[in-house]
Amino acid sequence: MAAIAIDLAPAARRLGGMVLIAFLGAALVFFVMRAGHGDPALSALGDQATPEAIAAFRKLWGLDAPLIVQFWNWLSGALTGNFGKSMTVAGGVPIATLVGSRLPNTLFIGLYAMAIAVVISLVAGTVSALRHGRMIDSVATGLAVLGISMPDFWLSYVLVYALALGAGIFPSYGFISPAESLSGAFYSGFLPALAVAAPMAAAFTRMLRTALIETLYRDHVRVARSLGYSGAFIFLHYVFRNALIPYVTVIGLQVRYLLGGTVVVERIFGIPGIGALMVDAAFGRDYGLVQACALTFLVCVLIVNFLVDSLCAALNPRAT
Amino acid sequence: MRAFFANKLALIGAAITGFVLLMVIAGPWVSPYSPTDADFLALLTPPSAAHPFGTDSFGRDVLTRILYGARVSLAVSVAGVLVAALLGGTAGLVSAYVGGWSAAVMMRIADLLFSFPSFVLALFLMVVLGFGVANIAASIALIYLPLFARLARNMALVVKEEPWVQAAQLMGQSTFSILSREILPNIAAPLFVQIALGIAFGIVIEAGLSFLGLGVQPPAPSLGTIMADGREYFQRAPWVLTLSGVTISIALLGLNLLSDGIRDVMDPKLRARL
Repeated sequence: MAAIAIDLAPAARRLGGMVLIAFLGAALVFFVMRAGHGDPALSALGDQATPEAIAAFRKLWGLDAPLIVQFWNWLSGALTGNFGKSMTVAGGVPIATLVGSRLPNTLFIGLYAMAIAVVISLVAGTVSALRHGRMIDSVATGLAVLGISMPDFWLSYVLVYALALGAGIFPSYGFISPAESLSGAFYSGFLPALAVAAPMAAAFTRMLRTALIETLYRDHVRVARSLGYSGAFIFLHYVFRNALIPYVTVIGLQVRYLLGGTVVVERIFGIPGIGALMVDAAFGRDYGLVQACALTFLVCVLIVNFLVDSLCAALNPRAT
Repeated sequence: MRAFFANKLALIGAAITGFVLLMVIAGPWVSPYSPTDADFLALLTPPSAAHPFGTDSFGRDVLTRILYGARVSLAVSVAGVLVAALLGGTAGLVSAYVGGWSAAVMMRIADLLFSFPSFVLALFLMVVLGFGVANIAASIALIYLPLFARLARNMALVVKEEPWVQAAQLMGQSTFSILSREILPNIAAPLFVQIALGIAFGIVIEAGLSFLGLGVQPPAPSLGTIMADGREYFQRAPWVLTLSGVTISIALLGLNLLSDGIRDVMDPKLRARL
């Protein structure tokens, strides 16, 4: 690969856009939640609470200030890693501690799923593009359509039934965190990661296949072929590199589905991640915790998108 | 149109989608059972002639529940995606053609909604709005709003530079007439593909939320609640989870093949090569 030159100005612009979106996201999460549920004091104490109790609660949590001041307090707290305390799910534990202890598990499953999807799609996409129209291409394309048609929670049960309860190769429930044992995390996280990865792998494969086929017939490839370069050289240098840009772009676009997919899968496999935490918070009506989880997910997506955009700019200097 | 009929996969997709629609619309009238009434004489009976998909832990006929449930899932998804297509598409069209600061603001909002993991956004909205059928549709609408806005805007930005649009401007047609008669027909096909794909994914969102217990509330059937039910006694009665899962996969397969087919037909350049 040629030297990658990165122009810093567009990167700074992207970074600015990312911070702006994160700020707007925080405002959305805060004000929409407040608009939907009104006074957190009432929702925490119940309808029968005495006015004195409500007043005391509001003073304790800073709810007697104007809404915009409350938002500012919440946001500046969030920036320093202080989201307040969990009200109902884990009585009194700081939300930041809860989210912080669970985020690594979600990130691990997300990255693991991403790696599985990338490996499957690189192999399947390349093979079916090079052999397009043949038997193996039809098989790969059929599998890809099937993969898109299997929602992650349904696929999870198929995998559990076949590989955990049936063949007994993998555990059907439970997760060893990567902090405890990395190999244990890879082993116990395989089925959930595969369930999240399958629809992604299908989407990536189709994208890569289309992009590769499109590039295979471009003029510069035909010229290289007529000059007598070897097939492998042409593929790596002229076809694959060009097809990489739409491929990486699609990976970036799918990150939000991938992280969304972890929510259900974490519940099914009993993985203590922020997806499962957010579901618990939803059931427990722990609004502060729901806000913190939503914002954490948003920031994760923004960071990945920033990295993907930067990678695309490096791959294709013309685009910026 | 001829190209569409020549595309075997697209035809299969259309056939599956048509079959699913027929079953969903006609099924509840044909079935002799109620989707919610318990029958304690027929608890967890395996598939038989009387109950082709078996019964669940309340003795309810699983096939009947799937037919009613698929109706709910499909209705929720279609409603959400159509609202998103209508509002998002209009916003995208207007912002592309009229431009200005309001367009910039709208697109920033689209960027923002687009940056949340889709399921997390749905979960957040279910907490704010409360669990229930109508709110799932609202969540799906909000998830798809930015997508349709972006799609319509990007395509309209290209089309509005075409000579026939400029001719219409010179002839003094109103903005509304240009948007609806000159631009919209030329961007409609990709929007339809996105609607078909959106309905497929909307079904997944509904099923996911209901599966977790945050969507449609039991005993009302939906594909998600039936699967959540079946998971409880999967070892004893595997048919409930399996058959409802297979149903959802068939419905998604049909919609995916159909939208793929439409897309291939619309892109003759790609079709010639594949």
